[in-house]
Order: sequence, then structure tokens, then C-alpha cells
Amino acid sequence: MKKISVDHLARVEGNGGISATIDGKVVSDVKFSIYEGPRLIEKLTIGLTPEEDVSMSPRICAICSLSHKNAVLRSMENALNIKIHPKSYLCRELMHMGEMVESHSLHTYYLSLPDYLGYPNAIAMASDFELEVKIALEMKHFANHIMKVLSGRYIHGENPIIGGFGTFPSRDELIFIKNRAIQFMPFVKKTVDLFCTLDYPDVPEKETIYACCEPGNSNYGFWGDEILLSTGEKFFRDDYQKLTNEFVVSHSYCKRSRYKGKPYSVGALARVNNLGERFKGETGKMYKKYFNKRWHVNPLFHNAAQALEISYCFERIPELVDEILKYEEDPKAVKYTAKSGKGTGLVEAPRGLLIHHHEITDGRVSLVDIITPTAQNAEDIERYCQIAAQKLLDSGKEDKIKERMELVVRAFDPCISCSAHMAEVTHTPSGSWKNKLEEIRKNSSPVYIGAGQQDRSDDACGIDIAQKLRGLGFKDVWLGSEIIRDDKLEGYTEKNTLVFFDAVDFNEKAGKITVLPLEYILTHSSISHKFVPFAASIKNLSLQKNAYVVGIQPDSVARGNKISPSVQKAVREILNHLRN
Amino acid sequence: MNNGKLKIGIYELTGCAGDALLILDCEKELLDIFKAVDIQSFLMASSDNRDGKLDIALVEGSVSTEREIEELKDIRERAEIVIAIGLCATVGGIQARFTDPNEWKKKYKEVYGDIEMTHTKPVQSKPIDAYIKVDYYLPGCPIGKEQFLDLFTRAVKGTLPERYPRPVCVTCKYNENDCLLNKGIPCLGPLTADGCGSICPNHNVPCFGCWGPVEGANLTSEYYLLKEKGFDIESIKKRMANYSGTKLIDFLKQFKKESK
Ligand code: SF4
Ligand code: SF4
Repeated sequence: MKKISVDHLARVEGNGGISATIDGKVVSDVKFSIYEGPRLIEKLTIGLTPEEDVSMSPRICAICSLSHKNAVLRSMENALNIKIHPKSYLCRELMHMGEMVESHSLHTYYLSLPDYLGYPNAIAMASDFELEVKIALEMKHFANHIMKVLSGRYIHGENPIIGGFGTFPSRDELIFIKNRAIQFMPFVKKTVDLFCTLDYPDVPEKETIYACCEPGNSNYGFWGDEILLSTGEKFFRDDYQKLTNEFVVSHSYCKRSRYKGKPYSVGALARVNNLGERFKGETGKMYKKYFNKRWHVNPLFHNAAQALEISYCFERIPELVDEILKYEEDPKAVKYTAKSGKGTGLVEAPRGLLIHHHEITDGRVSLVDIITPTAQNAEDIERYCQIAAQKLLDSGKEDKIKERMELVVRAFDPCISCSAHMAEVTHTPSGSWKNKLEEIRKNSSPVYIGAGQQDRSDDACGIDIAQKLRGLGFKDVWLGSEIIRDDKLEGYTEKNTLVFFDAVDFNEKAGKITVLPLEYILTHSSISHKFVPFAASIKNLSLQKNAYVVGIQPDSVARGNKISPSVQKAVREILNHLRN
Repeated sequence: MNNGKLKIGIYELTGCAGDALLILDCEKELLDIFKAVDIQSFLMASSDNRDGKLDIALVEGSVSTEREIEELKDIRERAEIVIAIGLCATVGGIQARFTDPNEWKKKYKEVYGDIEMTHTKPVQSKPIDAYIKVDYYLPGCPIGKEQFLDLFTRAVKGTLPERYPRPVCVTCKYNENDCLLNKGIPCLGPLTADGCGSICPNHNVPCFGCWGPVEGANLTSEYYLLKEKGFDIESIKKRMANYSGTKLIDFLKQFKKESK
């Protein structure tokens, strides 16, 4: 077994790494790890006033601090039932444009382009691409200027407050911003041309689900009150947990999210995939010119999507300034009287969907839940790295794996400080495994497989279930050993779902039951590695994707042939459930 | 020293990366900086980071894992001068707000449950001087550009600037702002270290204390000032805790002494 690892991901914001383990011909385990320590942000603001929370929670991440500011403000204002003045609303949008342009221009030109052009960094690139590097720097500088004018300073500005702003930009400052934005347009177009025509390697191509905010009114935009998925589904802001279902993995302080057991992606590429048709003006034309099917399946196109969004912002900034100038008076921040309430704020940070949820009781913050883009992307980052690494290994280019994985990670533009965010551990509510099993049974015909070892006490529980199911007259029931030996899975199609039963150590009380996707178990060796041989014997790839493991937390897997009482009880529960 | 250039390392521990980002934002000056000095390690800007002996190490972020303790000690061994940059490195940052170890353990458990981390063990967040000797402190959340360039240009010439023993109010007065305390708005300006240019009061927003507590100031008069204006000292102290990290304990001791 061999391990390839990049310990310090250069040109990724923060401190993290990616590693892959190669087991013969299989890339068995890819891990995107966050080494940054835990900051417990969501706990820090409990008991504080809403104003203090608004000041502190953007400190999660400097790079997206204004997205956090907008998200926490939207959340608080929903909770406290405040409607802000249209001028404040427009100024917040302008402020957001600043962050979007600054982040995208930094990422495209400074962090990603050197990869594609073969330089170690932007400074080295500067000698050959002096003009590009210089103007990109100007662009970033201009974006910082917008952020500074609207928020008070470049990072962690305190001018946006609950109910509006402390002060508003002057007419002159706004006109300057408008004119300067217009001047950039020729370079912006070049930027789109450049990033939409780069030679993106086709190594990591695979479908995923894209999620973003629904801006409403058929507009493109960076916030909304609903979440929109590429499947067409929509959720109201307070129902965000239907999408995110967070969980913790042991190799990272960054919590993970899956939608219906599947990884999904957020970010510029998700937005352009879901909303690109809504681009107008020059951006709309360029979208039509460059967008194609590969954007659906290749995460490297994040860079191209970011370039289109830069263009969208530069077209929107002058419009926004004109709209803001219609309001001559500076509105006072809206005062509030509510002492308690609950609210959610959805915002598109440069890296994707950002969710803040707050509860306020008697004027003090009583609950905080923050879900960051990188936390949502982490699963897809690992999945795409795994796909890329496997493909390279299959074609004998093992030496390229490290470099290519770095490229994939960087394309997602992960922000490691924002992923070191913390949320409450929501233990799977008991009984949720039943719902999952029902969902599987309703949508497909399950094939049951008992895995495990007969002579290792609780590890025999999977085999026990399978044998009892046979006894009850169930069809399509196999033992793990039969599948590996005799290719029993041939003949099953994507209409079938494989359901494994096994003892799985997921750090719970003995006898607790959970349902996890097989893919998940395969990429998380900390849980169980014995499914790797199964994966190899599932030749039909769509079957492998459609596979789940019903795991029972064992008490002991020492040598012996007695199943412990708590696990026996879980076995009975599962059988009773399937019988009905 | 090699070819006359200073060897500088910039390192990030646990934080929001704001200080490193701010250094990157000294865009115009940045290209000059990279020429004047030899940057050995700067994770955010380059993919060919080398390590070795250093003249100056700038360290951002708090120490929050065992791995970071090791990294930090290694940096100290290699560097002539170590400078703590930003609130996280100087006071522990907002994540050091739970100064009581038991409270931290409890919160940690609430967030992560019992999962054992495989790559590195968490420790309660602390400023870097909890583990190593620090030669200079540059406060701020994030650090201010002027203060940084000031420090950096001096450091390149081999001296360090003096610290800023003044509260935000001093600059706020220079800027001729109407004092927010007179409007009944609780502003932490009198208790907070200066260096930001009193940005928040300039915008009609109270200071939240993000430069950390001011050191060596005469807290007696500040205490009476706040009290006289009718502010609740308990909620002022509570608010001070947000950006004081582990230095809160000393601050409160001093504040209490003054208030006797
Ligand atoms: S507004 Fe705040 S910082 Fe300014 S003088 Fe008053 S108390 Fe000091
Ligand atoms: S005024 Fe206070 S809160 Fe605002 S930037 Fe300065 S030190 Fe930080």
C-alpha cells in the first residue's frame, strides 16, 4: 500500500492537505483534511447581544468576511423581523459585488492561472504575463476599494449593522465606483475569453448535484430566500437542513454535508449551471458562446464560471450605483423591538452557498448554526480527487496524481478557515435508518447482502440477518462470501439497490443502527475497510453507486461466536422492520 | 544573512487568514517586498515554500492543535525574531474566549461529539506566547496596513518599532468624531488598543474592541468615565471578553484594581 500526500496545499486559503492511498490497482482512500484547529465559532457568540454576534461571526473567515456579514445580517433581521430600507439593501449588494470580484480575481489570476500556465506562483508568472498580472491586481484593488468604502475597511468592516449601515458612501464615491467599473470592461471581456478557453484536463468528469440560492424574479444574483438544486427542487430558507444534513469525519475539523446521501457542489460553477440562462448583456452573450455540457461534469470549469461572474458583477455595479443614487437621503438604521425570534440568512459567498441560522431569546443569542461552502464541497472535493486519481492510475500515470489532485482541490477554491467552522453534532435521530431503508425499498428492488465474519462475535450480525431473511422467504439475499466467490451480482441492474448488513464502527453506542452509502464507507477508512473487495466485485458501476450499508455499532469484534445482547436486539429490530 | 536579503517566513496557525490576506493586499508594496526580502514560506501565495533558518518569522493564528505546538516550536528554533501578528496570535483570538478549560472541553464535545481526530489532537486555543518567547506583537483583527508596513520596513532595517500604548479614543479625538458614549452607545474605544485609525466610530459605529485590550493605559479614569456616563460595567466587561482572549484575565485584574 502506498500513500501520496500533499501536506500543505499551497495557494489554498488556510491550512489543509489532500492524500490518497493506493492499494494495488485501486485508489482506496482519498482524504481532504483540514489541519486548522477547532475554533468553536458557533459556541462563542451564545449569550451575546445580536450586535456583538454580527461583529464576531464574520471572523470565521477573512476571505469571505462580507458574505458572512451579509448572511448574519439577513439571519438576524429575519429573526428580529426587520425590513431594511431599499438603499441599505442596494448598498449591501454593491458591497457583496466587491467581495465577489476580489475573491474571484485573486483566485482565477493568482491562485489558478499559474497551474495552467506552468508557473509555481503569480510572482514567477509576472515576468511573462506582466500586463495580465498587473491589471488583475488593479481589479482586485478596485474590488477592495468597494469593500472598504461600503464596509468601513477591507477586512472585517463594522459599518454594515443590523437595520442598515452606520454611514453611507457619498455621491462622489459612488460615481467613482461606477466610472471605474466601466473602464474595466475591456479587460473583463478578455478575462472571460481567457478562462473559458483554457485547456481544462478532462480527468475528473462526473455528474453531481449543484446547489445555490434562488435570487427570485428570474434574475441572476447572490442571495435569496430559497435554495435551488440542479434537480429542480427548491427549499425555503428555514428548511435548509433538508439539504445540508451535517456530519463529522475524523480526519478533519471541517464538518461535511450530503444531500440524500449524495455529495453535492456549491460555488460559481453551481450558480452558472443553475442560473446561467439568466445572464443578460455582454455576460449573457459570452455565456451562450462558451457554456457547454462539460461544465456540468468537470469541476475545473469553476475558473471559467468565476470569470463569467466577474463580468456579471462589472455589468451590475454601474446599474447598482444608479439605483442607489435615486435615494438622496441616508436612511437611519431600522430600530427593532423584538426580543426573541428565529431566522435564517442565505447568501452566495464567492465559494458558494453560505447559511447562517440564529435564534434569539430575551435579547441574547441562544442558538447559532453556520454552514459554509467548503463544508458542503468537502465530499465532492474528495470524490473528484478520487475519480481523477483512479483514472490516472488506470492509465499508468501515477506520477501525475499528486499534481492533478492539487489542481482539483484548488479549482473548488476551498477556504480552509471557513471550513474550520463548527456546528452542533446532530446525532442521527433514532429511527432515521428506517426511513432510509423505506426510501430504498420504495424506489428500487433491494438486493440484501450479509457481510462480516462468522467467528468474530458481533461482526457476525450481518451474516445472521441474511440467513434469517432467507429463512423468512426473502429472495435476492446473499452472503458476502458468495458474491466475492461466484459473481452473484451479475444480472442485477441499476433498478436494484445493494443493501449490505454489517457491523460498522461509527463511534456510537453498541446496537445503534445507521445507513451509509457504500461510496462513503469506501472513502473513509476510519469506518471500515473490508468493503473494498466488494467494490472490486461489483463490476457494474451504477450498482456500486446505488449501494448502502446498514451498519450496527458492535460491542466487540473479538474472536468468539456470541453476538452481544445489544446487537442482537438491533438485528431483531431490522428484521421486524423488513418483515412489515 | 544571505546575499544581503533578509529571510522572512510567514506562517498561519488557526485563524481566519485575515492577516495573511491583508499582507497580500499590500499589493502595490507586495512586489517590492518580495524583492527586498527572501520569503521562505508563505502558504497562501506560492506553491514552492522552502523552510530553513530565518531572520524574521511572522506568525498568524492561535495555537489550537498539538501539531501547531510542534510547528510553532520549530519556527522559534529557526527564527532570530518572532513576531505575533493579529488578534489570534497576540491574545488567542475570539476562539480563546473560553478561558476556563472545562468550559472549552464541554463546548468542544457539543460540537464534535466523541469522535477522535486522526490527524492531530485539539488543544484549547491560546496565543503563541503561551508556548514560545515572542519578540514583538502586532495586534488587530485583522492587523492594520499602516502598522504592518511600518513594522515591516523597520524590521527589514534591523529595528523594531515601539508599541502603541494608547486607546482608540486618542485617534478618535484626532478624527473629531462626536463621542458615541455621549449618545449612550457603549463604545469600547477607551479600553481598546489603538492602531485601526478609529474606523468604527468614524462610521458612527461603536468600537467592539478588535485590537484587544490596551496595555499600560490608565484604566482608573476610563473606569470612572464609563461609570459616570451610566454604562453597566458588567456588560462592558462581558463585551471586552469577545476580543481579549486569554489576556482578559490580566485585563480584568487591572480593571478591578483600578476600580477599587
Ligand atoms: S466614540 Fe468611542 S473611540 Fe471615539 S472617543 Fe468615544 S469612546 Fe472613544
Ligand atoms: S474601532 Fe475598535 S472594533 Fe473598530 S476596527 Fe478599531 S479596534 Fe476594531
